[in-house]
Amino acid sequence: MPSTTAPEPAPALEVTDLTVAGEGGRRLIDVPALHIAPGERVVIRGPSGAGKSTLLYALAGLLPVTGRIDWGGTDIAALSERRRTAFRRATFGLVFQDYLLFEELSPAANAAIAASFGPSAGRAPIRDRAAGLLDRFGLVRGGARRVASFSGGERQRIAVARALAMDPPVILADEPTASLDRAMADRLIDDLLAACEGTGRTLIVVSHDPAFHDRLPRLIDMAEGRIVPRTPVLQAAHA
Amino acid sequence: MRDLWLSLPVWAQDAGVFAALILPVVLIAATILTGHAPGQLTRALLVRHWRTNLLFVLLVGVSLGLGVGVIAQERGLRQGTAQAADKFDLVITAPGSEVTMLLATVFLQPVDAPLLDGSLYNEIANHERVAMAAPLAYGDSWQGHGIVGTTADFVDHLSGGLAEGRVFAAEGEIVLGVDVPLGLGDEITPAHGHGPAAEEDVHGEHLVAVGRMARTGTPWDRAILTPVEGVWETHVLPRGHAPEDGEVIGPPFDPDYFPGTPAIIVRADELWSTYGLRNEFTRSESMAFFPGTVLAQLYALMGDVRQVMSVMAVVTQILVALGVLTALAILARLFARRMAVLRALGAPERFIFAVIWGYAAVLMLAGAALGLLIGVGATAAISAMLTARTGIALGTGFGWTEAQQIAAFLSASLILALGPAAIAMRRPIVADLRG
Repeated sequence: MPSTTAPEPAPALEVTDLTVAGEGGRRLIDVPALHIAPGERVVIRGPSGAGKSTLLYALAGLLPVTGRIDWGGTDIAALSERRRTAFRRATFGLVFQDYLLFEELSPAANAAIAASFGPSAGRAPIRDRAAGLLDRFGLVRGGARRVASFSGGERQRIAVARALAMDPPVILADEPTASLDRAMADRLIDDLLAACEGTGRTLIVVSHDPAFHDRLPRLIDMAEGRIVPRTPVLQAAHA
Repeated sequence: MRDLWLSLPVWAQDAGVFAALILPVVLIAATILTGHAPGQLTRALLVRHWRTNLLFVLLVGVSLGLGVGVIAQERGLRQGTAQAADKFDLVITAPGSEVTMLLATVFLQPVDAPLLDGSLYNEIANHERVAMAAPLAYGDSWQGHGIVGTTADFVDHLSGGLAEGRVFAAEGEIVLGVDVPLGLGDEITPAHGHGPAAEEDVHGEHLVAVGRMARTGTPWDRAILTPVEGVWETHVLPRGHAPEDGEVIGPPFDPDYFPGTPAIIVRADELWSTYGLRNEFTRSESMAFFPGTVLAQLYALMGDVRQVMSVMAVVTQILVALGVLTALAILARLFARRMAVLRALGAPERFIFAVIWGYAAVLMLAGAALGLLIGVGATAAISAMLTARTGIALGTGFGWTEAQQIAAFLSASLILALGPAAIAMRRPIVADLRG
């Protein structure tokens, strides 16, 4: 299956003294330390405004930060914008809550969008992988039908195919099931987990969805911009 | 370098200027687009906002079309009138306005002009440097087509050989301009005068068509030519020859029986002789002028107007381009979320730049193509109308000037289009992703 071809080995994530400031210098998140091992599957949860998505975007190198975000030895916080973009292209597959597809394009064109800006030698493999993923997700690949005419669940699976088409070692997903009904959400979770199963791919999901919480082995709770040290507190409470 | 440039043929200089003007677009396109394939996304943006895009293209097209049209029309008018004057090397009339007499002779506009007498005519006609001296006599018309009395030599000279039939050989015979709706052998009865005031069948005279001139591209294509003797005689004037000479037509004329002519069209034996003839016959009782020179003076006068119009056209185009690009910069906010997605997915800056700039480039190119069509179409329509009205064949061709104008517009607007593309790059990714 295209999605289960071996991507580059996933890098370990080592976050140190990470802060993200919002307007007026207000701290949005403050994460002194976070380690995610290669191939780990993690869900970040917490109430609205806890800073979950901000953390995810920071890990993706999309926000100006202070501190270190070390992905396999590369501190992306210290990279130039240009190198950070290149690192993102090589390392991450991103999935967003409201799909963010190009509505005028076909599913195949959307899924293979990275072929537009990748090196010409890499374009055909991206298109092949995108086509394979759409087949696997049971989606009509192309023709003249634009993605605007597809259901929410189908669109999110096209977005997942887009994230996987570059064969990234890390998938970062922001509330990927929030706009879907239960059946669609479950199917999407299946697809995402299958894409990581046996590939060594790291999956970091921000989600309110209890199904994700149940099915991913590691939970990170956030509140007020900080990671809540859940297990030690509980242990202390029971002690 | 300057000498090399000046040694080039005009077309090569024009092509060189065009290439220099379009070069910035080619260089920018090569720099921005190489290595990326932004076409699909640019197309998506075009499709998504197609109504707005269509409006932009129309705005650019109309403004550019007007500019192109003004310049093409002006050139067509200049070339058409110059060509009309081509066969009129030297015109000799009574002293007065050169422009009025130019209009009367080359463009056949009726005027009341003082006459030149027979002795002057003979002096001109017998001059050793004069190959042809044709008197003109206006007066009558047929269904709006002016009847002009002249000589057979002039008909030959003007037409450069007839298209059909023969030149008139006797009074009562006429040679038709190519646009006169008569056939050979047809008879007409002239009306006295021109236009609505013309009186029908005053003279009781009948004329028969014996020949038709080839197209001259001048108002003479709509004229009817007849022996000058006939026109004089119709108006109860001496017929230019002594009574004992009978019905002879054409030169030489007898000065005692020469009723006078408002203008004599002169062709010298050599081109350089024309200058001597002009000096010789510029006197107190006559005025000699080159129609080409008078036209050139008129063009020089109009040249200032043309420049003002050209500047106005260019300013309008720049304003429209600025308006469109400002709108694009605003529209870039609508694209912001999509561009943020691309940047989040790892698209390099140059790719985002290429998508936005390519989008502007398609709009401007489409606008330029439309402008070209509008310009050429408007020029053709206006030229056809003016040709129908004046008989002057006006060119409708697309010239280097228009090509250069479009190239300059494209270069300027696509350099300006780097602005909206740069603005798109400066936006915060996450804020745009969240919409």
